[in-house]
Amino acid sequence: MPNLLDILIAMKWVNLFQVAAAAIGFTAGITLLFSLGIRLITNAEFAVQKAGTGKAKAQRAEVFNLIGSYVLFALCGLALLYGIYLVVPYFHTA
Amino acid sequence: MDPLLVVGVVVALAVFFDFTNGFHDTANAMATPIATGALKPRVAVAIAAVMNLVGAFLSTAVAKTLSVDTLNTDIAQVGPELVFAGLTGAILWNLATWYLGLPSSSSHALFGGLIGSALAYAGVAGVNFEKVIEKVLIPALFAPLIAGLAAWLATRIAYLVTSRSQATRGKSDVGTGRGKFRVGQIFSSSLVALSHGTNDAQKTMGVITLVLVAAGLQLPTAEHAEAGSYVQIWVILISALAIAVGTYSGGWRIIKTMGSGLAEIKPPQGLASEIATGSTILASSQLGFALSTTQVASGSVIGAGLGRKGGAVKWSKASQVVVGWLLTLPAAGLVGALSAYLTMLGPIGFLADAAVTIALIVAIFQVSNRNKVGHHNVLSEVEGASEAVLSPRQVRDLKARAAKAAAKADKRNGSK
Repeated sequence: MPNLLDILIAMKWVNLFQVAAAAIGFTAGITLLFSLGIRLITNAEFAVQKAGTGKAKAQRAEVFNLIGSYVLFALCGLALLYGIYLVVPYFHTA
Repeated sequence: MDPLLVVGVVVALAVFFDFTNGFHDTANAMATPIATGALKPRVAVAIAAVMNLVGAFLSTAVAKTLSVDTLNTDIAQVGPELVFAGLTGAILWNLATWYLGLPSSSSHALFGGLIGSALAYAGVAGVNFEKVIEKVLIPALFAPLIAGLAAWLATRIAYLVTSRSQATRGKSDVGTGRGKFRVGQIFSSSLVALSHGTNDAQKTMGVITLVLVAAGLQLPTAEHAEAGSYVQIWVILISALAIAVGTYSGGWRIIKTMGSGLAEIKPPQGLASEIATGSTILASSQLGFALSTTQVASGSVIGAGLGRKGGAVKWSKASQVVVGWLLTLPAAGLVGALSAYLTMLGPIGFLADAAVTIALIVAIFQVSNRNKVGHHNVLSEVEGASEAVLSPRQVRDLKARAAKAAAKADKRNGSK
């Protein structure tokens, strides 16, 4: 039986680090985008309620925040699809 | 024994194993979105089944790990009985632990059973320990940690980004918007189901491919593996179908148990833990790491629980879960080796092994039908792991209780 230590030294640790980096980076990144999107949506809701301070300004704030949040959610979806695209070998074999 | 008969029995048992895997793991993907109210149970279960089906077609790297890398021996010379013994060992261990309510992992049971059987048949040289350590054991240890770390970090981020001061919130009824994470959970839980299909259905494909090779019905050439066509299309089809049907029929269990267990998971934590689980499993599947999806999901749930301010770990419960994980591989290996020795006795041994396995399957289904849904067999391991995390409220309660007890003790001492 081969020596356990030898196996551990010879092992491709790079692969494991890749999985760790990919998983942690992807999870943190997507959650960040999504959370920011939610932050902007609630910003828009706050803006609606603050209508008393000048209606046009609040309305503009609402629209900008909503657009921003939709952009962020779209980025989230694209990142998700790209992640799946990356792990399917079918797309990469010529 | 007629090799074709052995192959037939192995294929049937492998498909059954696949079905129970889907049945058992529906909760891993869908318990959190149902608990937070993101999805209606029926819809959640249907999505999970479809995602598992799709996931099974995405890759065959894990199937290759199991069928090409794990065993060293020229398996065609040993014969399909080796695979049969390994598989029955895995099924026996799985059913026994399920009945006793012990945490286990069907993936590790499968690897343990096969390794045990190979050791019995071909000795130490029969197992490719380098690949087993690199693609099974080390990922098994690290993947739950990676997923836990990812979920912890993502939970912190989610709470940080959406935090609002009391002063801002006081003026209106808008709040932090954290409940809106529910919508995201529809997608993140689908990702978990998809990744489950890629990793777990492939284990069945691996076993079936292995037995085809052992029976001389398929050549074990590496070129096939490189071209990605190593696993035959009908094998992919039945594995995908079995896991999808299993997932769908497993749904009634979680529908009945909702409202318990995972109630302390908030939508941002649910989203964070699901993305962590899905991405860890998908990234691992791509590199051919065969890991336990249940353990990864458990790691994420614990990480997400700790990521929220004031969360804590019940270490006694957590260590119980971990010990269960560590035990699975060697224990299933032992059962696999025993079945292997049994099959070496010739046709009588083979029939005896098959009879014991089928008898136990029937017996356990009878028992579970009679008991319907009992607490011990319904809780999935992920729910078990979630019990290892204390929510901020539970921590406060515990502290309050301790303070009360201390005050009482002080009073008593003072009056003396």
